[in-house]
Amino acid sequence: MATKRRNLFLYLALACFVGLLAIFIVDGYLGVYDTVYITTGEQSWKVEADVWQRQYPTYAPAPIAEPMTAEEGKGGYYMGASREEKISFRYEVDNRKFSTYQADIEASVWHSQQKIRELISKPISIAAFDKGQLEWVIDNTELLPKDILPEQSYQYTVIIERGEIERRIVVSINPLVYK
Amino acid sequence: MQQYVLYGFGILLCVAGIGYLAAEYVKYMSEIGQLVALLLTIGMLGFLGKYFQELGW
Repeated sequence: MATKRRNLFLYLALACFVGLLAIFIVDGYLGVYDTVYITTGEQSWKVEADVWQRQYPTYAPAPIAEPMTAEEGKGGYYMGASREEKISFRYEVDNRKFSTYQADIEASVWHSQQKIRELISKPISIAAFDKGQLEWVIDNTELLPKDILPEQSYQYTVIIERGEIERRIVVSINPLVYK
Repeated sequence: MQQYVLYGFGILLCVAGIGYLAAEYVKYMSEIGQLVALLLTIGMLGFLGKYFQELGW
């Protein structure tokens, strides 16, 4: 009888441990996750949801300098592009919740902390365990200042706002190659 | 004896490592998930304690 009782405590402890593992997996899966797909020229990048959680920026295709640390949850994505290119963005929101997810999505281009272009502003409503997406295209030729010199580089930030959540993608436009 | 000290040291490092990883993971969990995980941890340690108590430790 005492052995049975003792084993019961052991099984209960094991059941709690299994429950703990299960809650880790289930809680990690549930939630609202956003992914950005970027296509420029012949290259495509997928900016997955965990990029935004990092404390350091993520570079495409590889780090170009020692990464700077950022405030937790504000990790940005850095990418390069050329002057004549168009960049296509596909913003996908994956609703892994038991209820419908609604939010206003706004995307805009910023330079030197000033908004220079509104890209998209749209409310979305995604059913439980479904996905929603928005697409837009940025033409670099339209964004560059008229008086920019060939040897000058240029940077702008695409800010995607989903409710209170903000995602930043910094685009660096390279100088023209000298002939 | 020395062998058991090393075993103990190894187990301690494993537990500390798992504890660290769990603590890092918990940061990204929802509040309800954190609460359930806390309750399950308390339950697990409690039942494990009772098991060892029954064993006569």
